[in-house]
Amino acid sequence: MSDFWFEFVEITQTVGDGLLFGATYALIGIGFTLIFGAMGKLNMTYAGASLAGAYAGLAAFTFVNAPALVVFLVSALASGFIGFVVYVACFRFIPVNNHLAALMASIGALFFIDEIVIHATDGSPLTFPAMFEYVMFDLGPYGIRGDLLFVFVVCVVSTAGLVYVLYRSRLGLATRAVSQQDVAARLCGIDVHRTNAITFVLAGLLGGIAGSMTAAAVGVLSPLVTIPLTVKGLIVTVIGGLGSIPGAIVAGLLVGGLENVFLYFRGVNERDMYVLLLLFVFLVFRPHGISGTAIDRD
Amino acid sequence: MENSTRSGTSIRAMTFASVAAAALAVTLTAFAQPALAETERTVKIAGWGAKSGPLRSFGVNSEAVLTAAVQAINDAGGVKLGDGTMAKMELTYYDSACNADQAISVARKVESQTEALIGIGPTCSGAAAAMYGIFQKTVGDASDTGLQFPILTDTAIRPGLAKKSQWTFRNVPNEIAMYDALFEWLRTQYPDAETIYGGTETDQAHSRLTFALVIVPMAKKHGFEWVGGGIEGVTGKVGEGRENVMEASKSSNWLMADTNFSVQARAFKKSGADMMIISSHPFTTCGMLKEMKRQRINPKVLVGLTSSSSAETLKGCSDAAEGMYIPTGFAPITEAAAQVAALAEANGGSADLHSAAAWENAHIIKQVVEATGVMAKPDTLVADRRKVRDGLEALANVDGLMGAIGRVQDEGESIKPYVFVQADAGSWTVVHDPR
Repeated sequence: MSDFWFEFVEITQTVGDGLLFGATYALIGIGFTLIFGAMGKLNMTYAGASLAGAYAGLAAFTFVNAPALVVFLVSALASGFIGFVVYVACFRFIPVNNHLAALMASIGALFFIDEIVIHATDGSPLTFPAMFEYVMFDLGPYGIRGDLLFVFVVCVVSTAGLVYVLYRSRLGLATRAVSQQDVAARLCGIDVHRTNAITFVLAGLLGGIAGSMTAAAVGVLSPLVTIPLTVKGLIVTVIGGLGSIPGAIVAGLLVGGLENVFLYFRGVNERDMYVLLLLFVFLVFRPHGISGTAIDRD
Repeated sequence: MENSTRSGTSIRAMTFASVAAAALAVTLTAFAQPALAETERTVKIAGWGAKSGPLRSFGVNSEAVLTAAVQAINDAGGVKLGDGTMAKMELTYYDSACNADQAISVARKVESQTEALIGIGPTCSGAAAAMYGIFQKTVGDASDTGLQFPILTDTAIRPGLAKKSQWTFRNVPNEIAMYDALFEWLRTQYPDAETIYGGTETDQAHSRLTFALVIVPMAKKHGFEWVGGGIEGVTGKVGEGRENVMEASKSSNWLMADTNFSVQARAFKKSGADMMIISSHPFTTCGMLKEMKRQRINPKVLVGLTSSSSAETLKGCSDAAEGMYIPTGFAPITEAAAQVAALAEANGGSADLHSAAAWENAHIIKQVVEATGVMAKPDTLVADRRKVRDGLEALANVDGLMGAIGRVQDEGESIKPYVFVQADAGSWTVVHDPR
């Protein structure tokens, strides 16, 4: 194999791995953007709650030896429940226009949830079950990780499910109505608080899947991941365009792919610098993100 | 009237008796107080470490071992003070969260607001490096207003920290000696292995510096060559060519919270090295090992960082870690070490390479207090702290769980016995004991 061809394979493999892993970033980004779209507020707890959900799934694995699929399901349900609790604790009773209070409350809740997990596990990394963990599909010179492919498929299916709920159900109609004009929605008889709570639960379910998929992709779960995943989710949300689900999907894959490319060419010390530079470029030249539409609640 | 006078006399007598009794009681109490204080004198020590945050296990394990050690000392009668009184040892443990600011804050508080004779902390190398900076550098230097309070650190293992101040001492394994001996031994065990390649988590100073300053130079010293060159500046001496190492391993390094290791593992695979080195803490060690297993990377020899020779690594990835060699300053291979491991577990922690030193530290403090005539009275606190510091500096050898611990006194460091362990079927097995 010539040097050029070898390098080409390496780079495309790097991008492919990044895209597959980027699916988890996309899911986290979708969760952030869903809540922002509905309430116009950032739920900083989101990634932490997602990982806490994954820990709940891990408990099912540890204590009753539940199979991987059940672990993922428990993770999603637990994260959905945590999403509801976070809504009640940090958003429900804070005045709608007090964005800073809600933001600070959710940051506090993030650290609180993280510390609960740390105290429960002493911060130790714990094995997380994965499906197809050591399966590799060899396609000529390329290798595709079975578990990452599974993660990618689960993320695509979850996103499709969410989009279906949002655009093909009465619940989705209510959510979109509240996100566009909550007063008008209220006048139409929609229970805004209930709709918001359901949005948090929906986002939580998605987050639980993202958290468990991230843990499954690494094969190990640690509280160390919480803050980086929160930062990554916010970057994806901003690059994708606040409130845009398609934008979050594209941005998640983009960040995942580019992150690997930067790592390959420039090393880990510069990798995040370029990702943040990308965020800066978007904020300056395309502040509405990839979706390209201004965020307009009215 | 008479009755009334008698009654008045009686009241006066009773009043006098009451006052006399009260005065007697006050007098007795006043005299009794010092005697009571005498019996209640305690040797106070303060511990601090990460009890919150992602590295909480450091503090939990250290506190568990330290608590067990203090209990054992007290059960054996306590500590003999300068006047022959036996005093109990008393431990207060604080949370410094593996954070430099918090470690400094705890150190200042303990020094100024408690009667602790000595501090044991702060478990994390980064926090220790920053915290040591606030201590008086040279004892007796009146122009230096740094803290004058002795510290005896466990767990924080990054090479060369304690020499920052003459008040700071450490009892941690010497990684330079350990990796030097490990690669010398591996040279004899794997004569066919010629090449090395590896990576580290670059945002963790201990992992990064040990990789660049110690592990790669020591491997080169014993005849192992980095695949593809690029580390010509590395001569086999500690620290030389550090930049070359980091540049040569640029695409195979990662960060402590990374979750995707595909690029790094491919760099490992591409190298085809006989020996691969993973210089990182348990979480990313496991992430990297699992990715290597997925990519079917099977080096002849796998070497890890000292900090990964812990229960955390086995909890996270015992199957992927199978066969990995690590030098360690603790293994339950002596009766005392096994006993400490059991006591730590009973206290909700784990005795390992890092935390086991806390047991030795408590016993070192007892030895120093008894040797230097510490009085453990409030008015002798400053002098007692100085005595403890001087006593620590005067130590030549102390008994440790794995054998005698030597001291490098101009640097405040220790030379601990060590063994080489290998991950084997879910546990760390001692494969070589050079003691």
